[in-house]
Amino acid sequence: MTAHSLSVSRLSAGYSDADILQGLDLAVPPGRITVIVGANACGKSTLLRAMSRLLSPHKGEVLLDGKSIHRMAPKELARTLGLLPQSPIAPEGITVADLVGRGRHPHQGLFSRWTSQDDEAVADALTATRIVDLAERPVDELSGGQRQRVWIAMALAQQTDILLLDEPTTFLDISHQVEVLDLLTDLNHARGTTVVMVLHDLNLAARYADHLVAMTQGRIHVSGRPEEVLTQETVRQVFGLESRIVIDPTSGRPIMLPIGRHRMADNSQIKEMQP
Amino acid sequence: MTTVSSTLGRIVDGRQRRKSRWLFVIAVLLVLAAAIFALTLVLGQSFTPPGDILRMLLGETVPGTSFTVGQLRLPRAVLAALAGLSFGMGGVAFQIMLRNPLASPDIIGISSGASAAAVFAIVVLSMNGPAVSVVAVVAGLGVALMVYGLSFRNGVAGTRLILVGIGVSAMLESFIAYILSQAPAWSLQEAMRWLTGSLNGAQLGQALPLLVALALFGGLLLHKARDLDALRLGDDMAAALGVRVGQPRVVVMIAAVGMIASATAATGPIAFVAFLSGPIAARIVGNSGSLLLPSALVGAVLVLAGDYAGQFLLPSRYPVGVVTGALGAPYLIFLIIRVNRSGGSL
Repeated sequence: MTAHSLSVSRLSAGYSDADILQGLDLAVPPGRITVIVGANACGKSTLLRAMSRLLSPHKGEVLLDGKSIHRMAPKELARTLGLLPQSPIAPEGITVADLVGRGRHPHQGLFSRWTSQDDEAVADALTATRIVDLAERPVDELSGGQRQRVWIAMALAQQTDILLLDEPTTFLDISHQVEVLDLLTDLNHARGTTVVMVLHDLNLAARYADHLVAMTQGRIHVSGRPEEVLTQETVRQVFGLESRIVIDPTSGRPIMLPIGRHRMADNSQIKEMQP
Repeated sequence: MTTVSSTLGRIVDGRQRRKSRWLFVIAVLLVLAAAIFALTLVLGQSFTPPGDILRMLLGETVPGTSFTVGQLRLPRAVLAALAGLSFGMGGVAFQIMLRNPLASPDIIGISSGASAAAVFAIVVLSMNGPAVSVVAVVAGLGVALMVYGLSFRNGVAGTRLILVGIGVSAMLESFIAYILSQAPAWSLQEAMRWLTGSLNGAQLGQALPLLVALALFGGLLLHKARDLDALRLGDDMAAALGVRVGQPRVVVMIAAVGMIASATAATGPIAFVAFLSGPIAARIVGNSGSLLLPSALVGAVLVLAGDYAGQFLLPSRYPVGVVTGALGAPYLIFLIIRVNRSGGSL
């Protein structure tokens, strides 16, 4: 697999005339998992939309292998860079295999027919996401966790080296959140797919990211390894929240524990509660 | 290794099964449309032997048949089929593009725009014939543009466009009612045709422009079928799959409006055919493969069957628009209730 380089240079973008992103620079490490975190309305989703061409920049560029993505043919871009938006729509009654097959769109020309390569890509995507047994089921009958795997399978069928995901774990319960993130990590390890995603949960972000990016007010506040990024200071500056950082005994990654205004216990009480 | 190849086998099987089901539906709809078409030719007030009709179609003059079939039934059936195809395909294109079954041209004012212009042209400007049709097509396009423009704010959202369309449509309906109240008796008859949609007085000459519009705009839509299919996953997803979201929208919009307006110009706005065909087609095809052709054929079947029923199967003679209207209104109510509950899309 050739590692494509994706970077953002002095990007200003937003809706109507207002700039939500203000001269933002970002280099996505190829073949790694990058997770973007930040408070509501800090521009995380806007950044992802601009990086996948859903939004035209007011200033600056998004560069894929040194070429501006806004000057590439849409299908050419869609063969290298895939995106799973926040709320994709499944047409009523569509089956899983059919929906996953839609991911082949950028590989098909105007008159070219469905090829065995397309079938293989679909079979491959269903296998990787472990939904082969659901292939002929209608998508609207599936649970939220299954449905999210179907969408990821569709993005996989697109066979892009870079995959952007906008909050892929929203609306999922904790076990399905972990399952989806494990699945994406599998893909990253097995295929070297560069993954860039926006996540809400700081602890899951720190756990799964190779490269953690914290955004505030349309700019990147700090980025780097999760241990460097997820600090009390960052949480205070980015989220305006006092917190404590401890080390997750399972992963060795940092965990953020929020400090609110209530439910403070003194040390003696905590000692009593220790098992 | 075996699991991978068996998975592949299942994928291929499933895909082929969906494809053959799609083809089967197309075949059944074709046969059904052809059967009603044939029935319209053969059996009206009187029975005409198919042999006579064949001879007439081959160019012979058959006394009696040449008039009843050649002048009355054939133009009627041809126009019904063409209008049905146009309404069906144009309607579903809108519904898919805006991902809402309520986004059909007869609900968002395109049909009423064409009707209002036609009625105005007939009653006030004393126009007739093809000129009226041209006015109707242009007005249909104009209203579509206006509705689109009025609902534009950072792009067009389906719901906003539908609400604006319903408002514009209501305005146009009251304009039509006003014109009719002022109309002299002699033009009232002609103007009424533009309100319900009717195939009475169909002439073969009307079929040609409609056929041209169908070939041109229908071809354009079929050419965009794959992009349209991708748009059903949402604009963002479609863009991620490499579809230029703005450009197919404009093409689809123009083509669909062109088809609907031309059909409306030929037969009047046959109520609810554009609205009903897509959802019916989606039900039968099971939502795999393109909906454009199945929906066009459903439209043809609806108009042919509706017209035949209106002429011969009901106690008194009704124009086709009354029959399809009676079918469509309950469905509209059902849909509004359901969309309210689930926010469902086509």
